[in-house]
Amino acid sequence: MSTFIQAIVNGFMVGGIYALVGVSLTLIFGVLKIVNFCQGQLLMLGMYVSYTLYAQFHIDPFFGIPLTAAIMFLFGMIIQGVFITRSMQDDQDSNILFLTVGLGILFENVCLMIFKSDYRTANSVFSNKVLNLGNFNASVPKLIGLAIVVVVAILLGAFLKYTRIGKEIRATSQNRTGAEVCGIKTKFVYAATYGIGAAILGVAASCLMLYYYVFPAVGDVYGTRAFIVVTLGGLGNVIGALVGGIVLGLLETVGSVIVGSSFKDTLVFAVFILILVGKQMFKGKRG
Amino acid sequence: MMKKRFGSRHIGALLLLLILALIPVIIRNTYIQTIFILIFYTASASLAWSVLGGLTGQLSLGHAAFMGLGAYTSTLLLVNANLSPWLSIPIAFVFVGLICMLLLSPCFVLHGPYFTLVTIAFSYAFLNLFTNWDYAGKGQGIVLPFGAEDFALMRFKSKTSYFYIALCMMVLFYIVLRLIDRSKLGYGLKTVREDEGTANAIGISPLKYKMIATFISAGMIAVCGVFYANYFRFIDPEIMAESQAIEYVLPAIIGGIGSVTGPLIGAFIIVPLSQYLNAALSSVVSGANLVVYAVILIAVVMFQPTGIMGWYQNSKLKKKLSGFFDNLDRKLGFDKSQNA
Repeated sequence: MSTFIQAIVNGFMVGGIYALVGVSLTLIFGVLKIVNFCQGQLLMLGMYVSYTLYAQFHIDPFFGIPLTAAIMFLFGMIIQGVFITRSMQDDQDSNILFLTVGLGILFENVCLMIFKSDYRTANSVFSNKVLNLGNFNASVPKLIGLAIVVVVAILLGAFLKYTRIGKEIRATSQNRTGAEVCGIKTKFVYAATYGIGAAILGVAASCLMLYYYVFPAVGDVYGTRAFIVVTLGGLGNVIGALVGGIVLGLLETVGSVIVGSSFKDTLVFAVFILILVGKQMFKGKRG
Repeated sequence: MMKKRFGSRHIGALLLLLILALIPVIIRNTYIQTIFILIFYTASASLAWSVLGGLTGQLSLGHAAFMGLGAYTSTLLLVNANLSPWLSIPIAFVFVGLICMLLLSPCFVLHGPYFTLVTIAFSYAFLNLFTNWDYAGKGQGIVLPFGAEDFALMRFKSKTSYFYIALCMMVLFYIVLRLIDRSKLGYGLKTVREDEGTANAIGISPLKYKMIATFISAGMIAVCGVFYANYFRFIDPEIMAESQAIEYVLPAIIGGIGSVTGPLIGAFIIVPLSQYLNAALSSVVSGANLVVYAVILIAVVMFQPTGIMGWYQNSKLKKKLSGFFDNLDRKLGFDKSQNA
């Protein structure tokens, strides 16, 4: 029984990061209507930014969160402004798909060139601390990660609801042409949205750096997980992504207790395919 | 469009083929031959992908997994039952084609990027499954039995034999794709690609056509897998990774998605380039060759999304070339049969 409780606790902590990556993906989809296939690689970039801040300027990954987020925000805006907006005008799904896949390969290998394929870690004041709660253990950095997820979710919600740019983002998401007629500069809104998505990834990356190591291919795992998260929660649905992240975390940790850790990926992807197809079929029957 | 009869265009194509076939005779360099084998292999895989991705418009990034299934089918049959790879070619085609058709058939309700996501999920699931499956050698992979040269076991000492097998595969796939492209099936697939509602309305069931396309496409790439296993004589689950699938899609993107000749041209451009970059750059800085690779992909998607064939269709070069061939036809007297 205690293994199960431990698995559930771990599931919540792993799921927190998935939730953040998923929120970022779902935000980008909701507003830009594009599926971002370089999500994992952006997360990896965020981790390297956090690592570089630590290695070069001795900034603790935890306290470096705002800085990492700011750098990633700028980077995201540039990516959107230079590459993606151009291809969005063609109105071809496949172009965006291959473009973001290409960007992902580019990021991964530029990092491989600069940082080599070594595993790198950053030490934080919270690293390796474990909280003992009776029968089970909770790692402190993972708990912090979970708390940050909640904070980011609240901040994002408030930002979208009350600020001017947040309102513009929601307007663009609802109706692009209508927003343009009202004088909203949708190109800027797109860039800002992508930037915010990247900034959220920066936060998630910093949290990951508290207890995980970074290497150029680290994003692959999280990128695909992000898709599962948003599929669980519904594409474009921020609350859904939060819940989906936690559910996926639970599915993984509890699932690996049941089917063994080697086959957990197969289980996760099988569930993902079932949900994706099941949802669409259900929608088709209703419509 | 008027149906082209046998003419100077065909003679030109046959001449090109003859030149290709003579390469091992003229160039004895094994390295050059290896590059050509890779070109033929990549072109075949890209042609196989085109049946589903190009003609039917279902952009799959799971074809590396289908290729891996073919490679594993053939290898396991060879290792456990000593079955000749030549016989496992049709077995792999039907077996992998059926499996993929059945697995993907419920997924055809999904459109655009969602379908791509499912194929990525399949490739990860298969990768995970084969990495942990005892029978299939787990993550270490399987080494094919070495030994004396044996035609029945597709085991050759010289690269030249593999060169001709790969060339035959590519030519065969190209002809198959050409035939599909101009058949009723091909027009059905293209209708599904352009507009599923219309297809449904005129009695073309999108589900049925997508399933047929998946069967052919997955079966063809499984054959590529059989060749891969017997050429490299070693397989491991990594051949199923999504990053591998991009290698099969990239020639089609560069050549022009949806065109039949595109994947061929794309492979002839990208494979030598990436081999050269591999040799020249990866020893200096690892990853540099893939950076160039990614830049090419991004540049093509941003500036020439229809690929080389898309440019060629509206270019002066096409006018000149077809004028030249028409002229040749008239001089050689192939034109008479059309007028009569």
